[in-house]
Amino acid sequence: MKNMTIKTSLTALTLAMGLGAAQQASAANWLMLQGTEPAGSAPRAKLWGFVQAQYQKDFSDSFGAGEVYIPPKLIGPNLETQDQFNVNRARIGVRGSNFPLDSKTNYFVLIEMGRNGITNHGDAFAKVTDASVTFNHIPGARVRVGLFKNPGPEEGLQAIHVFDYINFTTVTNQLMLERYPVTGYTNAPAQSIPGADFNKIGNSVGAFRDTGIQVFDTFKSGSWETAYAVKIGNGSGLEITDNDNNKDVYLYLSTEKVYGGKGGRREGWKFFAWSQSGKRIDPNNTANEYDRKRYGVGTKYLKKPFRISAEYMKGKGMIFQGPHRPGHMFNDLEASGWYVEGGWYIPKTKLEIDLRYDSYTREENHPTSVAGDESRYKTATIGMQYHFNKKTRLNMEYSNRNYESDTTAVNNQYEGVKGRFAIQVTAIF
Amino acid sequence: MKSLKNWLMLALLALSLGLSAQAMADKASKPFAEKRVVLQISDPNPFKQTLVLNVANNLLKHYGPDKVDIEIVAFGPGLRLLFADNANKGRIQRLVENGGVRFSACSNTIRNMGKKLGHPPVLNPNAVKVSAGVVRILDLVDQGYVLIKP
Repeated sequence: MKNMTIKTSLTALTLAMGLGAAQQASAANWLMLQGTEPAGSAPRAKLWGFVQAQYQKDFSDSFGAGEVYIPPKLIGPNLETQDQFNVNRARIGVRGSNFPLDSKTNYFVLIEMGRNGITNHGDAFAKVTDASVTFNHIPGARVRVGLFKNPGPEEGLQAIHVFDYINFTTVTNQLMLERYPVTGYTNAPAQSIPGADFNKIGNSVGAFRDTGIQVFDTFKSGSWETAYAVKIGNGSGLEITDNDNNKDVYLYLSTEKVYGGKGGRREGWKFFAWSQSGKRIDPNNTANEYDRKRYGVGTKYLKKPFRISAEYMKGKGMIFQGPHRPGHMFNDLEASGWYVEGGWYIPKTKLEIDLRYDSYTREENHPTSVAGDESRYKTATIGMQYHFNKKTRLNMEYSNRNYESDTTAVNNQYEGVKGRFAIQVTAIF
Repeated sequence: MKSLKNWLMLALLALSLGLSAQAMADKASKPFAEKRVVLQISDPNPFKQTLVLNVANNLLKHYGPDKVDIEIVAFGPGLRLLFADNANKGRIQRLVENGGVRFSACSNTIRNMGKKLGHPPVLNPNAVKVSAGVVRILDLVDQGYVLIKP
């Protein structure tokens, strides 16, 4: 499998490099939008950011005489209540061409000050999520170094302020949004509220980011654009420094038929594939090392008034078992999932209707259940967006969740998982 | 003494003929133009690059390529518009090919930017070097061009 992956990756890379003979494209995809600036016309420092304020309510039932809950029945990141207001993202950043006369270097810095999985641990006031420099000296092989998003699944790689939903799909949340337990972690049982304490991971979520070096570029051939990226990183998410000698490898290839427009909502039909591989050490038992492998393939079509996208993801090792059970995520289990979603921009209005269905299957093999046990998560989400203007919008969504597990004790709790309502305002500046 | 006077007269005549020829050349590229416009770009704000190109495009659309004569003069930080790798190079090419728009690059700015860069900036092949951007604007204004600084 490993050899096959490498062979496939090399073929993809060769294809991408071969296309280098074609005309180079300007910023037109996530790799380029986040990693480069328009040549000769970027400011020295562009201040930008966005605010997302939200309200969420979970309609799940507690279980048992003690009326205990599990994390999927509570609102994050604190997981203490079933409904709350939150400023879940408040990001401010600076980007540009640090020496405007030379378009060959540019930078990107972004800081998170909202309350979410990035800042909740340790009650951090703010945390750097991006700090990178890109060198555009070699045609066909731009080099980006520092802390920035990993080439990977669309939900993670895309700019979050143009994400069409409020909550991630279960497969992205559980399989791709990596958690990093700290030394001395402990597991927690189901608990009653108020006073629940489920956050036992210790560090910030990875936020689909890593510190490392990436070679990438985009090539244009007619109305098609092909992009590639190869990144090597610490595998430590937002923690920036490494805690072992292992390095993660991220590979990405996409090709897109471009219909028009620019930026994050450019119209086109994109096909993409990616892989991520690395190793993790159990901080409570540093002799134990686990593989973490993730693969995915997907497509996204956007031509107003319609948007359709779908993605399949598979993972092996380090399968997340919940924020209250960090000890169980050091495993060699397998999981997979997919989603399909679509949007309809109602003509001559500022309204958009969104519909999404996602499925995630997680095999469990933790010490308290029978080997081979499996859990299944299916979620149907209906959403609506109202675009006040190009920079301000209101999202509203309701998710109907159907969770089940082969493990009776877990399934008992999952039977009580019900719908979740969320409403959110996004303002970009 | 008389010889020197003759030489001076000859030099003045040559200079006058040269300037007239240049003026004629500027206007000759658009003999039927009813409007003659010089657009100044000297601002570091990248949005101004888009704006000046938009203005040129809008003038061409309104009057038609044969009825309006446009020259864009770039100097100071605005010279970045005429860098070879500028993101707007496609638009510049289309304005030249479809609208006959001329682009002038200030030599003083090129020299000063070269000192900072360590080498002269590589310019868009459509850019024509002029001795000084501001002088070029004054010359065009003297010829009847209307100066617009978006």
